[in-house]
Amino acid sequence: MKEDDLSDISIFDRRYFYPVIFVFIFLFAIEVFNGMVSDWTRVSSGLGNFSSFLSEDVLPPDWSVLEPMTYPVCTVEPSILDFTCSRAWIGMTETLKIAFVSSVFGTILSIPIALLAANNLNPSLVSSTARFVLATLRSFPSLIWGIFFVILVGIGPTAGVLAMTVYTVGYLGKLEYEAIEGMNKSPLEAAEAMGLSKLETAFHVVIPESANDLVSQIIFMFEYNFRHGTVIGLVGAGGIGYYIDVSLKYLQYDRVIAYLIIILVVVLIIDFMSLKIRSLFTEELDQQKPNWLSIFLPANMIKK
Amino acid sequence: MFTNPSIPNKRLGSPKIIVRSGGDLLEKDSKGNQPIILLENMIIGYSEDKPLVQIPNLKIYPGEIVAIVGPSGVGKSTLLKTIAGLVKPISGRAKVCGKIIPESPLRGRLGYIPQNLGLVRHASVIHNVMLGANAGHNKPISPFLPIILPSIKAKQKAIQSINAMGLREKINEPIKRLSGGQQRRVATARTLAQSPDLIMADEFLSELDEETIDMVVNEVLKYVKMSNAALLVVEHDISRARKMADRLLVIDDGRINPFITEITAMEVEV
Repeated sequence: MKEDDLSDISIFDRRYFYPVIFVFIFLFAIEVFNGMVSDWTRVSSGLGNFSSFLSEDVLPPDWSVLEPMTYPVCTVEPSILDFTCSRAWIGMTETLKIAFVSSVFGTILSIPIALLAANNLNPSLVSSTARFVLATLRSFPSLIWGIFFVILVGIGPTAGVLAMTVYTVGYLGKLEYEAIEGMNKSPLEAAEAMGLSKLETAFHVVIPESANDLVSQIIFMFEYNFRHGTVIGLVGAGGIGYYIDVSLKYLQYDRVIAYLIIILVVVLIIDFMSLKIRSLFTEELDQQKPNWLSIFLPANMIKK
Repeated sequence: MFTNPSIPNKRLGSPKIIVRSGGDLLEKDSKGNQPIILLENMIIGYSEDKPLVQIPNLKIYPGEIVAIVGPSGVGKSTLLKTIAGLVKPISGRAKVCGKIIPESPLRGRLGYIPQNLGLVRHASVIHNVMLGANAGHNKPISPFLPIILPSIKAKQKAIQSINAMGLREKINEPIKRLSGGQQRRVATARTLAQSPDLIMADEFLSELDEETIDMVVNEVLKYVKMSNAALLVVEHDISRARKMADRLLVIDDGRINPFITEITAMEVEV
């Protein structure tokens, strides 16, 4: 074929259709949205509402959430530590406790199920049954589990811990079995040839071999649980969400925004700490120090 | 093609007696040992459409050292994996360490060093070698205890093998921090700590310098001699294979279904 012969290139080449297909999908999404919006003026007036909402209700944030509550009386000494009796501090520490406890319990429960769910360790009947269990636990968000456990054990952090633990088992279990399935086959083959039992292989070969991934995922799960722990209080399952819910009911949006800013700051700190700790366990990241900007930006956008 | 009478072969030539036992054709060597590996009419490979190697008959006896040579991609490693019970043969019959394949091998009797060693990379040298030492003991280790705790005997055995491989100073070092050559020595130490009846090693001497090769080969051969174990190695370096082995198995890829030919070390020309 001559170099300038273009007869082989068809205008019906499917590569040329990708942009067209994309435009059609976009138009279809607009059409679906149009079907759901009953009154477009409500959408257009939203911007105006937003600015008046910001200036009248939200700003400035009400930082009294960091002041000690009137009841129970704060007895903390010295008085500089008064803020530890505030709603924001109490709610935030409770959320952290819920995230910590549920991550630990969830990890302990998820590892055996993940070992059963890995299809490189078990026959497909066992692995698919274990996967079904994990998928069921994962299929409801922690908020739904929160509602469920509030019904069972009543309002408070206990319901939060149970809800987050159940969700952690489902979510972390999936991350764990994927890490186990991704591990090198060769140690498993050596163990099988040696005649080691399944349990020995699981605990002395598989877990040490995928330990870095597992630790990294457990830390990620703690970070995830903390973020979600701020929400489950809305259904009465404890944590800072409970105080946000109370403020929302009394239309104290300036307080709500103060809580949200506090959550944002703590989430960023925890994200950064988690990134630092995880980098110690991820071989690929061994070489490069994590940058705090990577919390917001993709890695390739950060100048070295 | 393969003739070099200058290389003496001391081990070959023991007369073999054919005996019948329970309908099975078993062959014993002069000492009355039954073969540790017995393959009959086997076709191995990953799928029926693409058979890799045909083996009409292969017997390896205790105390024998056999090297498999042949071009890459011909099925040498697959043959080892089939014998280890990791790959199901397409057809044929195999008995390894007294077990019919593809049943899993008897605990600890088969020591296998895969091409990429099969080490737990994030664990220490002692952890890896203890895996072998514990496999050599009949009692399974508790999953909830650290691997070095359960048996003093196994621990002694592991330390002995680590010392023999010259890795005393690296005992607590994680595998991922060791050089390629050191990792190969750990894999060898793990297998020796297991005290197996059969050692199978897939190119376990590559990446090692001459001095270390001598040390590793000496230790392995010493073990084979002392415990009357069999050694089956895949080796790409034919001169090294010839020095080490009693017999060479050449897998030839000149045909659609390559077949295995047994020739003695004496006949191989390098």
